[in-house]
Amino acid sequence: MARNKFDVDEELETRFDFKQFKRMLGYLKPFRQQVVFTVFLMLASSGLALLGPYLVKVAIDRDIPAKDIKGIVFLGVIYIATLIFNTICMKYKIRTMSYIGQRVIYDIRKDLFVHLQELPFTYYDSRPHGKILVRVVNYVNSLSDLLSNGIINVITDMFTLVAIIVFMLCLNVRLSLVCFAGLPVLIAVTMIIKNAQRKAWQNESRKQANLNAYIHESICGIKVTQSFAREEENMRIFLEQSDEYRKAWMKAVKIQFLMWPSIDMVSVASVCAVFIAGVHWLGTGGVTVGIIVAFMSYIWRFWEPVSNLGNFYNSIVNAVAYLERIFETIDEKPTVADLPGAVEMPLIQGAVEFSDVVFCYEKDEIILDHVSFSVKPGETIALVGPTGAGKSTIVNLVSRFYDVNEGSVKIDGRDVRSVTLNSLRRQMGIMLQDTFIFSGTIMDNIKYSRLDASDEEAIAAAKAVKAHEFITAMPDGYYTEVNERGSRLSVGQRQLISFARALLADPRILVLDEATSSIDTKTEMALQEGLQRLLEGRTSFIIAHRLSTIKNADRIMFIDNGRIVEQGSHDELMARKGAYYHLYMAQYNLLDAI
Amino acid sequence: MAEFKWIWGYIKQYRVVFFIALVLVLVVNLLNMINPYVQGIIVDEVINGGRTDILLILVLIMIGSTVLKSVLRYVYLMMFETVSQKVVFNARKSVFKRVQEQDFAFFDKTRTGDIMARLTGDLEAVRHFTAYVIYSVFMHVVTFILVVAILFSINALFTLILLAVTPITGILAVKLAYRVKPAFSAIREQFSRLNSVVQENISGNRVVKAFAREDYEVYKFSRENAGYRDCNIEAARIWERYLPVLDSLAGLLSVIIIVVGGIMTITGRITLGQLVTFNSFIWALNNPMRQIGWLINDTQRFVASAEKIMTLLANEPRIKNRETAAVAKKITGRVEFRNVSFGYGKEPVLKDISFNAYPGQTVAVIGPTGSGKSTLVSLISRFYDCTEGRILIDGTDIRDYDLKSLRECIAVAMQDIFLFSDTIEGNIAYGVTQATAEKVMWAAEMACANDFIKEFAEGYDTIIGERGVGLSGGQRQRIALARALIKEPSIIILDDTTSSVDIETEHKIQQNLREFCKNRTTFIIAHRISSVKNADLILVLDEGRIAERGTHEELLALKGQYYSIFVNQYGDFDGAEE
Repeated sequence: MARNKFDVDEELETRFDFKQFKRMLGYLKPFRQQVVFTVFLMLASSGLALLGPYLVKVAIDRDIPAKDIKGIVFLGVIYIATLIFNTICMKYKIRTMSYIGQRVIYDIRKDLFVHLQELPFTYYDSRPHGKILVRVVNYVNSLSDLLSNGIINVITDMFTLVAIIVFMLCLNVRLSLVCFAGLPVLIAVTMIIKNAQRKAWQNESRKQANLNAYIHESICGIKVTQSFAREEENMRIFLEQSDEYRKAWMKAVKIQFLMWPSIDMVSVASVCAVFIAGVHWLGTGGVTVGIIVAFMSYIWRFWEPVSNLGNFYNSIVNAVAYLERIFETIDEKPTVADLPGAVEMPLIQGAVEFSDVVFCYEKDEIILDHVSFSVKPGETIALVGPTGAGKSTIVNLVSRFYDVNEGSVKIDGRDVRSVTLNSLRRQMGIMLQDTFIFSGTIMDNIKYSRLDASDEEAIAAAKAVKAHEFITAMPDGYYTEVNERGSRLSVGQRQLISFARALLADPRILVLDEATSSIDTKTEMALQEGLQRLLEGRTSFIIAHRLSTIKNADRIMFIDNGRIVEQGSHDELMARKGAYYHLYMAQYNLLDAI
Repeated sequence: MAEFKWIWGYIKQYRVVFFIALVLVLVVNLLNMINPYVQGIIVDEVINGGRTDILLILVLIMIGSTVLKSVLRYVYLMMFETVSQKVVFNARKSVFKRVQEQDFAFFDKTRTGDIMARLTGDLEAVRHFTAYVIYSVFMHVVTFILVVAILFSINALFTLILLAVTPITGILAVKLAYRVKPAFSAIREQFSRLNSVVQENISGNRVVKAFAREDYEVYKFSRENAGYRDCNIEAARIWERYLPVLDSLAGLLSVIIIVVGGIMTITGRITLGQLVTFNSFIWALNNPMRQIGWLINDTQRFVASAEKIMTLLANEPRIKNRETAAVAKKITGRVEFRNVSFGYGKEPVLKDISFNAYPGQTVAVIGPTGSGKSTLVSLISRFYDCTEGRILIDGTDIRDYDLKSLRECIAVAMQDIFLFSDTIEGNIAYGVTQATAEKVMWAAEMACANDFIKEFAEGYDTIIGERGVGLSGGQRQRIALARALIKEPSIIILDDTTSSVDIETEHKIQQNLREFCKNRTTFIIAHRISSVKNADLILVLDEGRIAERGTHEELLALKGQYYSIFVNQYGDFDGAEE
């Protein structure tokens, strides 16, 4: 099986490509105007910042020797004016960029989450949940710095760089070229570092996912861990994962930090080259003492934005490791999705037809083997048979949680693939084996299936499934807070709540998959009476092991090895003395045998 | 302040490396001054003065100092990374350890996403602080003090005038620190919520799909996502008020140089040369002043996260070893409940429960949903402590046993099955990691799981998803049962372990267990009469009290609750009428 474990790295085969980054920039498009305006302000502000040293120079060279106090004060006033302008620009930049950055992060995360809702069970089943969680929360967060400061700075830097290059070329072409000679070297170094760095950061992101997956699973399974007193072993595994993550991080920064020394060396080498060349060429080709001195002040200003750009490139390489994972998820094609031209399912009457259905989760593991049957509207169908026979699979196909490999599933004569998933599932009430309680109040959990239901309706549903008594016995009744592990509710209570949830949906087709396995017989009997009324007029599928639960069904299907072995009413099947009869008798014979 | 003390506790053991790195920061900072100085000499002496003979040496000095500086910087950066990674590693270890120690009551009320947030995002803030913020603060503070000292020696009065700006900077910095802290706490809180909503959505994906509730989930998520966005924007609103002003205040130093310095020069209080020197040092003064706002931001971000982590670390589990706790060595498995009462809150769930279970015996608990069956058995493993009365194992109060050793003697197959995303073999061997493949297969056979496991293409190496997705309810129950059996415990607790297993398989399991349970004490919670009939003692629980007790026959004769359950399940079956 292609399932992933917490300690297995997820694979990813893509070459480094700026497309990921470009795609992220696409999210900035709606804010283009603000970005342009901010860049403009930043340029104006850094332009004015250049004025500062000049003002000081004028004061020292001219006004102070001339004892011109008025002139000095005038320079001071101008300086203060530039500072005020700087304050305004910076304030605007912080405001806009944090706004835009956060908006973009919001949008990316939303796209990712919305897409996740469309992905089928199999996506969630095939990897630890912690690995999905880390993408939505942590990876997206790690883009925040890049988005809020990185991009605006890089655009500003680029403009500054162009301006400086123009200045330098105007001063002296030959000296400029000497200085620029360092650039190709730097680019080459960057490229070499990049490849190693990219691999290292990808590895880091994988290890982070592994660690988070393990933490997540440890918290979810903590009760098992404690009951087996396995804390020490878990701690060992945790430390192992934690250590791998640490090592991956160290390896990544070890490479990444090479960037700064490289820039430093190349820049100082080019400065020295300019000195030597300058002295060598002094007096020829327009190289004068004044030119060299002026050149000196620009040459560092040239390397500063270059160095910033280098670091920015570095953080892009870094971010791409996360972006890849994010976009990989967004690009994951849902295997069960609305087909083009899918229509709304009209009000379901309840006729269900399986024709020649073949289904397997994995190749060569056939779960359903040419299953055909049809159900009339309002019929109650019970599915019995050994565990793993394919009972749950049949009901899962009715709600189109999976698509059949061969054959078709039709409801009211429509192939379930020809209607929209939402309109189909909205009309079904499904109670799964795995009851899941969301954090919130019990009332919220019951209303989950119909958000606009009134409290009275929710309470009525709870009464119908005999959940009312225990709920009202709780300290805050229906408003008792529970959390996703179902805190303190017994499994039976949880089943009753999800039962109420399924009923409140007022479904046209009701699916009860082991819905009452943990409910005591007395409650179940009481529940059955209420249920009989509710089932009227609705098609329903019931999977259960307790025969008392299924005896009243209109039709019982005995499933074994992915096939329907026999079907009929309880009396018919008893008369036939086949598999069902055997099963039924066994329940009593065993009782005596014990 | 407590936050800094806390993090120092982790840095302490690496303090030598940490201090060496800090010293290197200073050295590199000093080396930074060489190049501008050498460059000045080149301009003055070589270019203006025409002494081309010393050019080569000067150039070599520049290159040499840069190489040295780059290497040292690389070294100290790596040192800080190493230390911070180890610090975070150890801090994460303490948090994880603490989480594992927490009792069930804690997990009943704490969302998974909240704990995740502590172990991921909050630790990231700690990492950033240790790797970057501390040395930056140090570097700026030392530079500032050093330069002030130099300037003071040149001209004390002018230095004091220059420093006139600093009290304003100081006040603003303190105000920022004060104002921004709640903003960061709010961000951390919202981060937790975002984490939780996503985590629940992923874990509950089946229910979401079953009810086609995707739109509602997106709505819930968007609310938290927008909340997180707004918290961050809100925080930016605070620092946009302070940071630009702090930045400009640093620039004000130059204005003082021009105006005050100019006037003082003109009036002859300082020389022009001194003024030039002051001006050349100005960057070393205003840079720390410029950075202070950002560093305060980063620090408060750390404080907000550290606070949350510390709260978790300070949470003392109520269930823990007593100081006098003894290791439970050879437990025979005699369990006695003596007037035990228990409640999660004010409402009692169990009232005055007393019974005895001896090794080799099976005690079955039956009763309505919510009558306290699972609670009763969870007290044996001390998942909760009883509020009144005592539970004794082999005559000793269970609170006097070492917790780990107590639980090692007990195996529980819980009603709410959680399997790990691991192989089937790994799941069965969860409690006995060194178990051999044969042993695992033996346990699986005992639990009647071997047959279906062998049918998987990869057999015992099949990886199953979290919560055991991919397996049917009955299959999951049997794996959980095998997981409990392989421990070969003195006390075995089967909480509704076979409810989703078909009757025939259940019967086979019961037969297998008969031999296995001979010398052990077994507790069974079940709803089916077939599961409990054989027990030595059946307790019928109702509203937290033992309503009836006895063997199957005794209870039938009583014609009470047990009898009516029996009739419900078998009443209309001719063969079962007595």
